[in-house]
Amino acid sequence: MSDKRDRDEDRAALAAEHALRLLHGEPLQRARALEAKDAAFAAETARWRGRLAPLASEIDHAAPPGAVWDRIAAELGAESSAANDNAVGLRRRLVLWRSATGAMTAIAASLALVLALQPRQVVSPPVPSPVTRPASATPMVAMLGGDSGTKVVASWNPAARQLVLAVPGDMPADPAHAHELWVIPAGGKPRSLGTMGAGKQMHMTLAETLARLLQSGATIAISVEPPGGSPTGAPTGPVVAAGALTRA
Amino acid sequence: MNASGCSLSAGRGSAEVLAGAVPNPRSSASAGFSFAHRLLCAMKGDVEPSNFGAEAARRELAILIERVAGGDRAALKVLYDRTSAKLYGICLRVLGDEADAQDSLQDIYLTVWKRAGLYDSAKASPITWLSVLARNRSIDRLRARRAPVEQLDAALEVADDAPSALAVAEQADDARRLSHCLEELEERARSAIRAAFFDGSTYPELAEREGVPLPTMKSWIRRGLLRLRGCLER
Repeated sequence: MSDKRDRDEDRAALAAEHALRLLHGEPLQRARALEAKDAAFAAETARWRGRLAPLASEIDHAAPPGAVWDRIAAELGAESSAANDNAVGLRRRLVLWRSATGAMTAIAASLALVLALQPRQVVSPPVPSPVTRPASATPMVAMLGGDSGTKVVASWNPAARQLVLAVPGDMPADPAHAHELWVIPAGGKPRSLGTMGAGKQMHMTLAETLARLLQSGATIAISVEPPGGSPTGAPTGPVVAAGALTRA
Repeated sequence: MNASGCSLSAGRGSAEVLAGAVPNPRSSASAGFSFAHRLLCAMKGDVEPSNFGAEAARRELAILIERVAGGDRAALKVLYDRTSAKLYGICLRVLGDEADAQDSLQDIYLTVWKRAGLYDSAKASPITWLSVLARNRSIDRLRARRAPVEQLDAALEVADDAPSALAVAEQADDARRLSHCLEELEERARSAIRAAFFDGSTYPELAEREGVPLPTMKSWIRRGLLRLRGCLER
């Protein structure tokens, strides 16, 4: 029992020493091996890096000479001209995903056409609650993207409460994260529409309460979240795409 | 989305990380920046005003790192403009030599370029992740220029680009509690831990500096670190 406690204490201290970079020789090799194969030790080392990191705020800032960036830029230039660009898979997929702007324009055009050809069904609107407006019956689209181009086209058919997402190429498959879809009503808080699966097209039928939020001027956004979606109900990770809903 | 009350300058002013910021000359990057900012405004409507600047800065840097992971060079330049003064300060502190610090800084941003995909915004703030990377890379360099006996270690260290070395997990209130908890330690443990952090010293160096046997120094620091953890987790 106390052997185990001694061992746990020893591990805990070793993780701290490793994070602080005190080790050399055999203990350093041992800590590295543990970090590579023991998830608990690796997590404790990561926590120690985080615990001690605030000390760095005591260090004065210093502007580096401009030549440093020039050297970095030169290295990047050399890298891109190298034939065997060993970019990690995720980066490659992301670049593909982002560079498909031309394809997006075509998809957007065809979606707009589909929407235009659909008869505008006039259905009896859902019983409006006193505080919310009934959903607009006009089909809408949102082009989700940043300055790097459109990434996703969302089209919204209020009559069927159906949201269709079209993605050029493939969504980057990343088992460590999920892409979560949000609607942000003008002046309101983000509400989750669920996490996105893989695939080039996605159809979802929204509950009435969510459907009411998809008004012209609302923003549709995609954030990166832990698997299964945001644990808090609000976006926690970086936003990778967003766009405003406008009438189709 | 309301533009008023959500201005970029508010985010700039209150974030310590941005102290070294210079205006960004790339118009394309500016567009992305304002894109990111518009989102922040939309998505962080529920953040208290006092936290908004720091939170916005954190989110903006996280978005920049995300874009660097996607191969966006303009994003790397903006990230460099906004964080290099802090990271260069760390390099200088650890290495104590301008030429070495500049080499280290170059190495750090090239590592960011290659490894940005490993950054996990759920685990650590962008500036914490970058600071840890800067300190570790600079210590790698420090050890690489040491005595021949240690060169094998150092070479291994520099070659060790393993993802795990970039793993950082922080708790939100660590910054405030750390100095309090360090104050609770014995003076000799506190000063040894600080020297290890700022100078990248190893156990033998610390023992020599204090004129105590190696096992004594190890015992001081180990006890101090475990007490520190106990205090931080209280």
